[in-house]
Amino acid sequence: MSPDATPDTGKWEPKIVAFCCNWCSYGGADSAGMGRFQQPPTARIIRVMCSGRIDPIHVFNAFLEGADAVLVTGCHIGDCHYVNGNDKTKIKYKFLEDVVRELGLEKERLYLNWISASEGEKFANFIRDVTEEVKKIGPSPLKPEGVA
Amino acid sequence: MEKGNVFVGWSINEEVRKRGGSGGLVTSVLAAALDKKLVDAVVVLKKINEFEAVPVITSDVDEVLNSAGSLHSVPSNFAKLIADKGMRIAVPGKGCDVRAIIEQGKRNAVNLDNTFIIGLNCGGSMHPAVTREMLETVYNIKPDDVEGEEIEKGKLIFKTKDGQEHGITIDELEEKGYGRRESCRYCAIKIPANADLACGNWGVTGDLAGRATFVEVNSEKGAKLLQNAIDAGMVEVKEPEAKGIAIRGKIKGVMEDLAGKWKDKVFEPVDDRLALFRKELENCIDCGACKTVCPTCSCGEVSKCTQYHSRADGYKMSMFHLTRFLHLADSCIGCGQCTDVCPADIPLTRLYRRFANPVQDELGYEPGMDMRKPPYFEVKLND
Amino acid sequence: MNEVSDTVNKDASPDEDKRVGVFVCECGVNIGGVVDTHAVADYAAALPGVLVTSVNKFTCSDSGQADIQQKIKEHNLNRVVVAACSPKTHEPTFRACIEEMGLNQYFLEFVNIRDHCSWIHMWEKEKATEKAKDLVRMGIERAKLLEPLQASEVPVIDKALVVGAGVAGMQAALDLADMGFKVYLVEKEPSIGGRMARFDKVFPTNDCSICILGPKMVEVARNKNIEIMSYSEVQEVDGYVGNFKVKIEHKPRYLDVGKCTGCAKCSEVCPVEVPYDFNEGFGTRKAIYVPFPQAVPLRAVLDNDNCINCKACAKACESNAIEYEQESAYSEVEVGVIIGAVGFKTYDPAPRADYGYGKYDNIITAMEFERLLNAAGPTGGHIVRPSDCKEPIRVGFVNCVGSRDKETNIYCSGVCCMYTIKNAQLLKEKRPETDHTVMYIDIRTPFRAYEESYNRARNLGVKFLRGRPVEVKEDPETGNIRVRVEDTLAGEMRNLEFDLLVLGTGVVPNEGINRLQQLLKLSKATDGFLMEAHPKLRPVDTTIDGVYLAGVASGPKDIPYAVSQGSACAGRATILLKNKKAITEGITAVVNPDVCVGCEVCIPMCPFQAIKMDEQAGKANVMKALCKGCGTCVAACPTGALEQDHFKNNQVIAQVKNVFRFEEVASPDYPSGAGTHVSPAGGYVDESSEDMGEQT
Repeated sequence: MSPDATPDTGKWEPKIVAFCCNWCSYGGADSAGMGRFQQPPTARIIRVMCSGRIDPIHVFNAFLEGADAVLVTGCHIGDCHYVNGNDKTKIKYKFLEDVVRELGLEKERLYLNWISASEGEKFANFIRDVTEEVKKIGPSPLKPEGVA
Repeated sequence: MEKGNVFVGWSINEEVRKRGGSGGLVTSVLAAALDKKLVDAVVVLKKINEFEAVPVITSDVDEVLNSAGSLHSVPSNFAKLIADKGMRIAVPGKGCDVRAIIEQGKRNAVNLDNTFIIGLNCGGSMHPAVTREMLETVYNIKPDDVEGEEIEKGKLIFKTKDGQEHGITIDELEEKGYGRRESCRYCAIKIPANADLACGNWGVTGDLAGRATFVEVNSEKGAKLLQNAIDAGMVEVKEPEAKGIAIRGKIKGVMEDLAGKWKDKVFEPVDDRLALFRKELENCIDCGACKTVCPTCSCGEVSKCTQYHSRADGYKMSMFHLTRFLHLADSCIGCGQCTDVCPADIPLTRLYRRFANPVQDELGYEPGMDMRKPPYFEVKLND
Repeated sequence: MNEVSDTVNKDASPDEDKRVGVFVCECGVNIGGVVDTHAVADYAAALPGVLVTSVNKFTCSDSGQADIQQKIKEHNLNRVVVAACSPKTHEPTFRACIEEMGLNQYFLEFVNIRDHCSWIHMWEKEKATEKAKDLVRMGIERAKLLEPLQASEVPVIDKALVVGAGVAGMQAALDLADMGFKVYLVEKEPSIGGRMARFDKVFPTNDCSICILGPKMVEVARNKNIEIMSYSEVQEVDGYVGNFKVKIEHKPRYLDVGKCTGCAKCSEVCPVEVPYDFNEGFGTRKAIYVPFPQAVPLRAVLDNDNCINCKACAKACESNAIEYEQESAYSEVEVGVIIGAVGFKTYDPAPRADYGYGKYDNIITAMEFERLLNAAGPTGGHIVRPSDCKEPIRVGFVNCVGSRDKETNIYCSGVCCMYTIKNAQLLKEKRPETDHTVMYIDIRTPFRAYEESYNRARNLGVKFLRGRPVEVKEDPETGNIRVRVEDTLAGEMRNLEFDLLVLGTGVVPNEGINRLQQLLKLSKATDGFLMEAHPKLRPVDTTIDGVYLAGVASGPKDIPYAVSQGSACAGRATILLKNKKAITEGITAVVNPDVCVGCEVCIPMCPFQAIKMDEQAGKANVMKALCKGCGTCVAACPTGALEQDHFKNNQVIAQVKNVFRFEEVASPDYPSGAGTHVSPAGGYVDESSEDMGEQT
């Protein structure tokens, strides 16, 4: 193992957990691929049927397991495949955000974004922007020792 | 009689008047409700000693009439006691009891239509163990010699068996870390306007001072409850003096201002909050006592905060508390129960309020003060 | 079905009853050109529970699928992970593939290493490979926790309910009836026909509206499979796809419809006259009346609010049909599908006095114009102005009244341009001496012969002025209407005077839309009309299975569009009615009654009304046939009693946990290569130095 493997700002790649809904944002990630919109290999997508299914506890889990940032994504308001699931996502996210902020995590580590299945470029830009922001602030203070 | 009416009242029963505080009105209202079959049962305090009592559910009118009067050092919360009982019940309680009962009602664990809530004015309560320690170290009296206690003019006064009175200002006690529980100091609910009846001695003037209770009718249920006691011939009421009403309002205002100051003091901004929370929760043993006692939580033994993690995860932060910080952000009533029961002496209420204060302030949501749904359970929030 | 317990090695670790096969697809060079697929497969092979891995050029090809099937057989696999493209396109293929081998289709886990990896990290091959390993590891751990699910079937009652008997609803009813299904056609008015029955002519052909609609109404009445329930309203709807129970109120007509012949002798003797709503309030009708000459059913109706109880009608009625004591009757029907065709109303400019409507006599709406123009209308087809009954010469038309306006409705009503063009033409044809000016924002003429109709109007001399009036005033002497309008093409203000001004009022949602929304728990779009399941691909479906929408109920439409939707609904509904069964979602929410405390938090979370309380047990209960499997209730449940099949908390958390791995280097007492959960030595960090530069 190479000695310079220790994460530092030069070599270190953040890990971002992205929760996507099946109908819109997951499709947006697909569209990013279809359009070959290049993005840093930092995101790991977890698919759920609706952003309303994204339980804040899953987000806590992601942080505690070592996520440097977590993305909650879904359909644009009004476009939810399940009528209004994303309205409920919005409420849960509001609480989640309040707790994460009060806990003392930087705001660059948690995002809510509505991305439609056609917005591949938006998805790619989003991943790129978040990666840049997180690189500036370094690894998450909640990341367990020795986790990549 | 209708919502908004205020009275000064007392028990007809001399024995009750003597034993109960402030004219025994609450005791007699409870007894009348039971006697006239307005309810199937009532909650009363069964005194263990000068500092401790346990709440019990009873259908025995005599037991009600013989029950304890008010005790300042009884911090137990009644909400979970009456949850899922499926009977018509009358329950007296402090502001936090009332709030918790209402929150349980929103979670379908208490049928509020069948529950008559008598709120008691509360300037704060004391933890029995802390009180005993305080008596020994600050008052220099033996706890077992104590025969009674009261709060007057900002002083906490203990009467001992030798007939002497020992008074020290609450400010002084709290400076020393004694006195009221921390959550009581910054609690802003001094007169429980959320209860069906709000009762207390503030505003009782003249000859009646100390011998009657000021009662405010806050709902139709409250009117029914009080009228029932009057009709049963167990309680007498009269209109309060204007001066009394003014005094009551003034005391409330002073207490609330003081609570606000405490709130600012306890919740001073902290820069490295993550370090604070990690340090405070370092000793948590995941026993779950705080959740079990939490009077707004309606979950059973298994719940989201307990199910999906284990100590083997080796996380840098408690997943259990993180989940609860979230679930209680809108619903924490700041009752202090979690701090009281924590075996690791973690000041949990203070931590929970750090999350709850900004959320509740921002949303203008006060849990347990009305029937509004907890915002976390809304389908859509108004922007 | 998949049962492997009898072949499990009794000494094996708990993971070993999960026998995972991992199939990595190269997708030609789409994946293989970037991701080292063999390295991914080798990595996966070392993970616990993985019995076999395989790399295919095209896993979705026949040979690729055959490979999966062969390995399922050979290794007795019970979980299959396919690392390839997007589940959105290929999941059904592989589900079918493993199901053929007797595996439950939900034992497939699909990992996207193309769209989400090789295609977006084309110049970072090593990092892409490492990411693919992460994604596959996440998939394997999730796959091990997957549970078998069954899509359930519910029987479908082969009868239909159509709510609203305008032209869209009639078309839906006729098509279904002609396919042999029983249809209940419920109409709140005393006659079927809807708004189209009130139009004078229809654009762009300028056909007489009732002349083409009338025969259709008769056809509906004659059809043995259609039961018309006129003057009736749906009160309650219970149940779910295939099994709706519908309670219908039949409002009293105060006469025996079996006896009434529609002769209207009762009307002749009735002394009460009230404004005739069918004619937009122009002219009068009696308190007992036949709605209009072509009404179906052709029966009288007594308007009890205005009846003075003189009983003249009872005396006049030769068939003794009058029944003053009649009350609402109720019936219940059971149907498999419901088609909502509840129509619309026209925008009412009166409350805001738009352009002075309601304040000045000589401003009327297009619908009023339509009735005046009608030969059977209050003036026998003569356009006259309300103030003095004179026939106007100078007629102004204002378009987009209540449409395309931030103050009222932002949307385009879609029909006003065309009906204005038609109305101007008709009056011009009748009275060539008239002079017409249409004030518009844009003229929209998208379908066959619409633009031609516009040209025809211009050729007839109808003037078109692009601009919205800024001021409308009445000349109190003459009653004429003075309009100040900016001609935005010429860039100048114009002051015009008209004898009559006609407002091209738009289309707005009616009360029926609200009622239907509440009855069926449909969703409404921001424009106030009901929302379809998908605006492009499922335009007549709703989010409620077995419920369809036709006509203007789901947004402004013209007649051919509404009729097409009626037919489309019938077609969509027939899929269920003919199959006599509906497949409901296999992925649904489930309640663990041991954990549920009955707090009812979940109930309002469900937009499909799929959760009800089991009052006896005090627990929530999910009705599978109604659940769409979004999982929103699951996230809201404070206890965790609610779980979503296929997306259970432990399944999601397994993925979350496996995003990460321990780096051996960080822990010196953790020997390289030890433990199966550790990434193979090398790889991730070493090779990153060879990257072609960071992506920015």
